[in-house]
This record gives sequence, C-alpha cells and structure tokens, in this order.
Amino acid sequence: MTSLPDLKAVNDRYRMFVSFTDAEECDGEFVFSAKDNLTTRDFPSTAGSRILEGYRPPFDATPVARMREAGGFLAGKTNMDEFGFGTFSANSAFGIPLNPYDRERSCGGSSGGAACAAAVLEDHVALGVSTGGSIVCPASFCGVYGIAPTYGRVSRYGLIDYANSLDKVGILSAKAGDLAKYLPAISGKDPKDPTSCAQPGEIGTPKKVGSVAVPSEAVQGLSKGVMESFERALESLRSMGIDVETVDMPVLRYAMPAYYVLATSEASTNLARFCGMRYGQQDGDLTLGFDDYFTSFRSKYFGDEAKRRILLGTFTRMVGYADRYYSKALRVRASVISEYKKVYSRFDAVATPTMPFVSPRFDEIAGMSALDVYKADFLTIPPNLTGMPHLSVPCGYSDGMPVGLMLTADHWREDLLLGTALEWEKGFDMRKPEVMA
Amino acid sequence: MDREIVERAARIAHLDLTADELDRYEKDLTEILDHFQMLDEIPGEDTEGFTPVPVEDVLRDDVPSSEIPPEELLRDMRTYDGYVRGPKLS
Amino acid sequence: MKIGLEIHVQLPTRSKMFCSCPTEGNDTPNSRVCPTCLGMPGSKPVLNRKALELGLTLAKMLGCTIPERTWFSRKTYFYPDLCKHFQITQYDTPIGEKGSFKVGDKTIRITRVHLEEDPGKTKRVGDGTALVDYNRSGIPLVEIVTEPDLSSPAEARQFLSELLAAIRNTIDLPEDGDRSVRCDCNISVGKERCEVKNVTGLKNVENCLKYEAVRQLKVLKAGGKVERETRRYDEERKVTLSARKKEFEADYGYIGEPDLGTYRIAEIAASIKVRETPTAMASRIASQYGIGEKAAKQLVSTSVGLAELFEEIAGATDPHTALTWCTGAVSACWKQYDPSMRDGVVGIVREFASGDLTDTECGIRIRALITGQDPGEAAQAAGDLDALVAEAADANPSVLEDYRTNEKAANRIIGAVMKKAGGKYSSAEVVAAVKRCLDSRL
Repeated sequence: MTSLPDLKAVNDRYRMFVSFTDAEECDGEFVFSAKDNLTTRDFPSTAGSRILEGYRPPFDATPVARMREAGGFLAGKTNMDEFGFGTFSANSAFGIPLNPYDRERSCGGSSGGAACAAAVLEDHVALGVSTGGSIVCPASFCGVYGIAPTYGRVSRYGLIDYANSLDKVGILSAKAGDLAKYLPAISGKDPKDPTSCAQPGEIGTPKKVGSVAVPSEAVQGLSKGVMESFERALESLRSMGIDVETVDMPVLRYAMPAYYVLATSEASTNLARFCGMRYGQQDGDLTLGFDDYFTSFRSKYFGDEAKRRILLGTFTRMVGYADRYYSKALRVRASVISEYKKVYSRFDAVATPTMPFVSPRFDEIAGMSALDVYKADFLTIPPNLTGMPHLSVPCGYSDGMPVGLMLTADHWREDLLLGTALEWEKGFDMRKPEVMA
Repeated sequence: MDREIVERAARIAHLDLTADELDRYEKDLTEILDHFQMLDEIPGEDTEGFTPVPVEDVLRDDVPSSEIPPEELLRDMRTYDGYVRGPKLS
Repeated sequence: MKIGLEIHVQLPTRSKMFCSCPTEGNDTPNSRVCPTCLGMPGSKPVLNRKALELGLTLAKMLGCTIPERTWFSRKTYFYPDLCKHFQITQYDTPIGEKGSFKVGDKTIRITRVHLEEDPGKTKRVGDGTALVDYNRSGIPLVEIVTEPDLSSPAEARQFLSELLAAIRNTIDLPEDGDRSVRCDCNISVGKERCEVKNVTGLKNVENCLKYEAVRQLKVLKAGGKVERETRRYDEERKVTLSARKKEFEADYGYIGEPDLGTYRIAEIAASIKVRETPTAMASRIASQYGIGEKAAKQLVSTSVGLAELFEEIAGATDPHTALTWCTGAVSACWKQYDPSMRDGVVGIVREFASGDLTDTECGIRIRALITGQDPGEAAQAAGDLDALVAEAADANPSVLEDYRTNEKAANRIIGAVMKKAGGKYSSAEVVAAVKRCLDSRL
C-alpha cells in the first residue's frame, strides 16, 4: 500500500476532480482516475451535467472494471465539459479545471480533468474519452501523452453516450509506457458492447512507424509557436529514422462539418432520456403534464452548449433537412476514410500538430464564438470522425505552454502509435508543470 | 436557420427557451449552418451502417439472466408500490 | 372503404430484444429490468438472435422480399413509458417488404414487416400522474403493415384472425396470455384517412373500425371534411376520440442506431425453413392428392401431424387408401400417436395395400401399434365392436338404403352402438367401424 497524495489540496488548486476518494492509502498496484462520463459503482457519475447530479450508477463501465482487474485503485472522477461538449472543459456544471502550466489557461477538453490529473499527480493513469479530439486536445494542452484507440477497440459499456458512432475510451499519462501498458488492458471484445466485437484481434507489439505523411491542409492557420514546435518535431522524427513527406488531403476540410452534424444528431437522441425521471435530478411536480414536466427539467438543468448541440442535432435530422445534413455527413465520413486509406497505402501514419494553438487564456476563450470553438478542432476531428487511432505526444513548449504532436494510424494499428510514443519519450526533454502547492 | 425553425427544434427537443436564448441560438446556429454549406460541395460515398468501422452480425443467444437486483436499480428512482413514478399523462 | 392495419405482435423469446432480462416470470412491477431496458446512461443494446430469426420467419411466411442487409434506427419521442425517449425500431431497411396474405380468395398486400422494441406499461393514478412498469420495456415486437386493401371492419377482423392463426402456427406463439395483438387502424371512407392508435384485440379492432366508419360517413354526409388525424379508441364507451397530442412523422427525426451495427439477414433467412400455414397446407394437399378441400381441411384441423402422416402414407400407397386409414383407425386413436410410430403405421398400411392384410387386420394392427394394446385384445375388442355394429346395422336395414345417398344416415347406427357400448369405445372408433361396415355392405 502506498499513500495517496493529499488529493483535496491538489484539487483545490487545479479542480481536476468532480469527486474523489477520501482514502489516504491506495489499495491497489497503481492509481487511476476515470472521466466522469464513465459509470462507477463507488462514485456518482454526472458527465459534467447538472441534470445527472446525484446519479449513482449500479454498475461499473467495462474500462473501469478492467482497470480494477489489472490492479488499479480508482482515486476519483475527473472533470469534463458537459457530456463532452467542448474543447476547453469550460462547459462543466462543476467548475473548470485549471492548466498545470498556467492556471489562467484551460486544460483543454473535454477530458480536461483527466489530462490535468495525468500532468500533476505522480504515477497517475487517467481514463479519458474522445469523441472529436477530447483526449489528444487536453493531452497536448497539459503536456502529457494521450491515446484514443480505434473506434470499437475499447468497450463503451458504461460510457454515458455523447455520439455512439464516435465515442472512444482511451488513456492519458505523463509516461508513454503507461499508454502501452494500460491500453491493451482495457481493450478487447465485450459482449455488452456490440461495436467492440468488430475488432480483428489484440493490439500488436508496439512498433515504431517507418514513415509519416504531413497533410499540407493541416499546417495552415497554426500559431507561430505551434508551427515552430511542429517543424522541430518533424526534424526529431527524421532523426529517429522516420521518413517524413508532405501530402495533399483535400477532403480533410469536410471532416469538421460532417463531424458536428453526426455528433449532434446522435447526441440530441442520447440526451432525450434526461428528463427528471429515473435518474439524476427528479425533484419536480409530477402533476404537471409530461411534456411540461420534461421540458422544465431539460430547460433548467442542461447547460448552454448542451442546448446548442441539442438544437443543432434536432435540426440536422429533421425531415426535410436530414438528407442534406445527417445522411450527407455519413457519406462524407466515408470519403474521409477513403482519403486516409489512400495515404496509408504509402505511409504508416499521418502527422499534424494536435491543436493549432497552445492553451488559450480563459478571457480569450470567453471571446470566441461557438463556430470559432468548433473550428479550433479542425486537426483532431478527422481521425475522430473516421474512427482512426490517434496519439498526442508532447513535442515542445511555446512561451512556456506545451505543444502536442499528433499521429494518426490506420484502423487497428495502435501498435504503430504506441511504438512511436515509446521511442519519442526516450529523446524528448519533458518539462514538469509548475510545482504543486 | 430562422427563428421559426429554432423554435420548432426547441419544441421537439423539449427545451423552453427564453427570448434571449432564442436570439443567441438563432445567431450561432445560422453562423454554424452557413459554414456547413460546404458539405454541398462534395458528393461523398455510399456507405452502409452507421459506424466508422464495419460492425456486422453481432448477436446474443436467447438466454435469460439478470445481474443487478431490481432494488438496486430502483434505489434512486421515485417509486410507488414497485412502480416508477412519472408525470401526468395527457 | 379502405382499411389498412399496422399489427404489433410480441415475439415469443425467452429474453428481451436488446438485453438478457426474462420476458416472462415474475409479474412484480419492475422486477425484470436492467440498465439497458431502463435506459440508464451508459447501457448498450445487444440484439437477441432469436428475435431476429423469428421476425425473418414471419417475413418469409408472408412472402416478403428480404434485403441483403438490415439495421435499426432511432425513433425519438417523449413519453414516460419510453425510457430512452427513443425507440429502437426499423426505418429504411425493414426485414421484409412487399409480401402478401390470403383471406379466402382475396390477397391482402403486406407493405413491410419490421422489428422493434416494446415500451413499458403505464397506468394512471387518481391525480393523473403515471406509474410505470418497465417489465415490458424491450420485449421484441414484430410490426406487420398492410396496404389499405381491406374493405370492411368484418373483413379486417377475419384477416387479423387468420393472420394470427398463421403466425401462431409458424412461430409457436402462445394462444393467450399477455402476448396480445395491438393494432394501429387506418381507415378512410372518403378521401382523407384517420389512424386509430393502439387498439388491443380482434373484437376491439372490428368495433373501432365500425365506429370510425360511421363517424366519417356522418361527417361527410353533413357536408363536412374528415380531418387527417390520430385518434384513440375508448374500449368502454366504444368510441374513437381525437388524440389530444399531435405527433408528426416529421418530428421523430429518425437516425441510424450506431450501437448495433448491421446484420446480413439474407444469409440467415436462407437457412430458415418456414412451416406451412394450416390453410395453405390444406389447399395444397387437396390439389396435390385430389382428395377434395373438405377432407384435406379435416385432416389439417385434426392435426398438422396427421396431415403429414397422410402425405407419408399416400406416398407409400395411394391417396384414397391413405385418406381412409388416416380419417379412420389412425384418427380414432390420434391422441396417443407419437411421431416415432410413423414408419410402423406406414408399413402396416403398405401391407394392406399390397393385399397382405385384410381390412379388419389392418385396423387392429394400427390400433395396437398406437395405443400399445395387446394385438389379441385389440382383435377381441375390434371383433366385439364389429359385432355390435353388425347387429345394429342388421336391426336397422333402412339405414343402408339412406346411406347410399346421405352419409349422415350412419349417425343412427353410430348412436345406437354408442348407447349399447356404454363408453367402451371412443366416438372416433365407433364412427370408423360403422363406416367400414356400411361401406362393405354397399
């Protein structure tokens, strides 16, 4: 048994947890946390939403159960944007996690609490969830490693759905070795999630990529600091014996609208169940007609971004518009997959920066429009839309803030990402965040 | 996206929006959908199913079983006599 | 008048459609539930193979075209019994399309057959609030949609009744219990149609359609216009009422169900053998063996198994011989028959047909085989019965004359023998013996 750090003190400073253990000692071989949209028997699970406040799931999510089976001790549930709806973890009903390198800045999102915990706590493994970039974005902003596997690699049983065809459970840690160790531990078929049963076999032995393609579309609109770090990162890849070439992937630009259409269409159906009955907030006047009753809860307890995405998703699947948006987005996803497959016939992976800028300050975020925020995900969305495994490794610092390098591989080729991360770690000079209070 | 459509989407989705919210979402969604017009530019490809990797023929055998006792499932629900309580039916 | 029906039938699986909860057993409210059928956040659906197979069996029975691949969709609407607020159903790839079903000489076109999950059950308490039992939530349903080919409430009822009989025969659907049939009834007497939702049971369907037809006629007669709307049926008052809440197809916002993937059902369907419906079997047997509709129906209505035995014997001998023995000695002790006796019975009749057995011997051997009675005793009993019959026939010589023109004349002898035997022989045995005796005297 090892003693746990004073989680309360750490959390007071960084607000990465929604709930955490009051145990002083760790009863397990290693400590992990789970994003709050993963159900857990011993902690409430709210997915960052007021409407689920008080929900105590009677079952563990499969990835949580598998971490426990591997000897993990669950220390707490990490903060996140409500239902995963955000890029900065600023859309949580339960406070905003603060960046370990500068508390005026965001941890990224939506697995912001997870990335923060991975960066701040010693020897910590964080379970995160990605729908459109929610693992690699915060990993990059908090200067840690993060991997989102192929769609279906890790069971989603117990994951509170954002968008079922896009959601993926993955891992964040300050050490690449943890990704290689624990991703296989949570992977594999689960009879309770049919989409996990499509995987062809286990993750192969980690193996470094031999070549990467850099899409010319991905290096436009980057901040100067990110561009410089990325160019140095490409140099490092070359020095590792990896062939780096620029390619054109013009279809990538359609990934963003296709992603938001699919994600919000699915999300607006997933969120229909939250209505003041059965779980979460239920304390309402039942003598109201059911339409009014449901409407009152939903209007009161969903946050601003949740409402925005519900409206968007309800619209994109409406009769008269569904062909133009929902069905079209499915077709565009198929095109983006084809575009990637073409590249994989010549290269092992695609390399881009993870985010186009370093973590912004909260006052900068407040000035962004909804569309500005959606556009900020333009690099992380293509691999997520297409269900391709992708990884962010810390690759440099700009004005003291971490920059991430993202690698995307073909479906089921996590082995290439893990192998490259392990090699990368050997040569990268990682900076610790500011000293803890 | 005009006001009427936002109101219709809100009604279908069971959201009661204030005038201020309606203004804001109308503006945001119009801006977002204008940007999404670019989807009209490419034809896309035929596809079957709704997942990015094919998921086929995953079936379960017809064997009944229960894992979690009902008391535990209903623990935090509003119940009466074993029934889950709900709002007034129209 | 045009009537089209959307018929919902619960499929007889042991576990629910998307989770392993039992479909039957404990009737305590909410005792057969789990995270999936309660729609708890984080739960996922997994399709029951049996539900898919049963649905495909019915689609085949109805002669539907079955697509290469199928998938499910989400139909989103808000109601307290629908825990996820979307129903997993089928939208663009039903498991069957363009089938048909015959009622008498009329063919009713089947638009589509699809699978979906049943919602829970609500009941209203004094203050109007709901009490919900989710035991029914997730029970597999098949929905069969007809074209508006039915032309009267009575025809709709007959169609439903025969369709249900065919379904029962095809998939071993229990006769009664909770597995009731629910219908959405579409009816128009003029141009515009109304839909009466969720009508339970055959009688209610007919009554509701009758009421609705009269109502629409009255509206038209008064120079009014029938408004296209959804209505509900009040079983106690036997009237249809406008449903207060207007739900539009457009509001469901169907999308694909990504949690389940797709199913290559053409392959599965190809391996499914569909049992013939009794009606279809009777008319096939009648024409294939030239034995007449009435005799064929009699065979099938006694038991499909008897009709199958008839086909075996007819193949080994000839249809006339097979019919004689199947409606005679075999039918007389059918309740004790077991399929393992098939080859034995066929063998005995074959011996009779080749002249190795007399009529009486053949009857005795069949009875002995099926009932397990000692052949000697059987012979004795048969002899006793034959003697009784001969005695009664001798005592009523006029019967034979009448019997030439009217088979029913035999009833007098049958009655006399039954009375005298005092319950020693089954009525079927007596009927067979009397017919045999009279036929031999003709």
